[in-house]
Amino acid sequence: MRLLRSSRLLAAVLLAACAGLAQGGDLVVIVSARSQVGALRPEQVAAIFLAQAPRFPNGAVANALDQPVGSALRDQFYLGVSGKTPALLKVYWSKMVFTGRAQPPRELAGSAAVRRAVAEDPALIGYIEREALDPSVRPVLLVH
Amino acid sequence: MLFPSTAAPRLPAACAGAVLFALGGGACAATNAPEWTFSGFGTVGAVHSDERQADYASSSMKADGAGRSAGWSRHVDSKLGGQLDVTVGERWSAVLQVVTEQRLDYSYQPRVEWANVKYQVTPELAVRVGRIAMPMFIAAEYRKVGYAYPWVRPPIEVYGVLPLGSSDGVDLNWRWNGDAMRSTTQVLVGRTDIPLYDGARLRGHAIAGLSHTVEQGAFSARASLVTARLSLSLFPELFQALDSFGPEGRDIERRMKIGDKRASALSVGLNYDPGQWFVTGEAGSSKVDGYLGSTRSAYLGGGWRQGSLTPYAGFARVWGTRPGGPSALPSSYGPAAAKVNMALALLLRTVPSQSTLSAGLRWDAAPNLAIKLQHERIATHAGSRGMFINTAPDYQSGRTAQVSSAALDFVF
Repeated sequence: MRLLRSSRLLAAVLLAACAGLAQGGDLVVIVSARSQVGALRPEQVAAIFLAQAPRFPNGAVANALDQPVGSALRDQFYLGVSGKTPALLKVYWSKMVFTGRAQPPRELAGSAAVRRAVAEDPALIGYIEREALDPSVRPVLLVH
Repeated sequence: MLFPSTAAPRLPAACAGAVLFALGGGACAATNAPEWTFSGFGTVGAVHSDERQADYASSSMKADGAGRSAGWSRHVDSKLGGQLDVTVGERWSAVLQVVTEQRLDYSYQPRVEWANVKYQVTPELAVRVGRIAMPMFIAAEYRKVGYAYPWVRPPIEVYGVLPLGSSDGVDLNWRWNGDAMRSTTQVLVGRTDIPLYDGARLRGHAIAGLSHTVEQGAFSARASLVTARLSLSLFPELFQALDSFGPEGRDIERRMKIGDKRASALSVGLNYDPGQWFVTGEAGSSKVDGYLGSTRSAYLGGGWRQGSLTPYAGFARVWGTRPGGPSALPSSYGPAAAKVNMALALLLRTVPSQSTLSAGLRWDAAPNLAIKLQHERIATHAGSRGMFINTAPDYQSGRTAQVSSAALDFVF
């Protein structure tokens, strides 16, 4: 009984550790499978998410879909595409919001929710864990 | 002037056209429920100055500061701002921002900093109607948001020379992106009317502004030009007195008094911020016909980010030029004229010449919260009282003040 309990605990710890590793793994920037957008460079993705570019490079209107503030995925994404730490990102959005220029992108929690929303709307662009990819969306950039 | 006189009436007409065009599409926008956002920012600050003959203040729109009125002052930087945003559909949005901080009448009566309606004509072009902060320098539009810049306050030698903060009118923002370089051009027209104290007002009309921002990678630059016609109804007794001293007195009054006088400000700023470190430099010149004179100013600052700590240092300088022509009555007018001449001389000491060496530390203690400590060595030059206010009559230009500041900046 005791052995069983500790092996369950071990399994739980291992699962948590794996989840932690997955958090630090690759993430992909995605658009809808119906979108005509080709591969993007990190600075092109950053410009859309930072409300500096209203369109994809092919001219189609782009709307960014973010992950929640404080999520590891979000911090990894912004560090990867723009070099901005959470603090610098907060500084950036303070400038944008308090000068009436723009509001931060809409947020959805979790890769599955982001993937579903992006799959349905070719104007949306989001980022998810690489493992969460499916044929409804198309990766346009890999962020290590 | 930047704009031909016909440009001003044409812009509101274009804007009205945009509004009508948008209302045409209103049936479709009406299906989107309005989205409301409330956010805010503030600073709790304390400043100490060892200069007992004058007050150190963050702007000329403050009643007092640190030094002469009190060794320590909480009024220099402390402020609180709240902002309400509403977005309706893809194209319409509005913003209202109210800030409370010490004013010239010692009160903390809130003032509306921003209040405008924005219509996004295309994803690249936006029109705003209402109160809009002046697009001067890199940080003028968010100068009240301490959290948004590394230092305790934007260098007053550059940001404090022209008292124009906002304009009530119309602006156009046009974004044009290249492959790597992104540009934003903003044009603005409007007017302003700000109560100061004892019934005195600052009025600006025919305000016209043009700014252009370029960003490429870690590099960004902004150039801006603002012109206006200013009226500043301060020191009525002095100008009344001058009026009674014949043609010489009236000539001085005409040149010194800021009544519908032309004002202009030009600035160029560069910023390089690859993440680990940053450097910012700006240079500007301003000219107001009347006793405010003209200035040239510049600063250079930089810092290094080490985890949540950012040590920084900077240098700022303003060189003032007093208005030309005689600025004193002939001594033949007797003792009454001597008194007026003394008041005139005091007035012209406000044309600022000053330099500041500063060093400080920003600590991003928590998300949304930064704590800053800063020390400055400030010297006034060329017979001027610099950017100091409430100077004692025997204040001597050329003095050096040691100013220490602590600030806690937050956003929510």
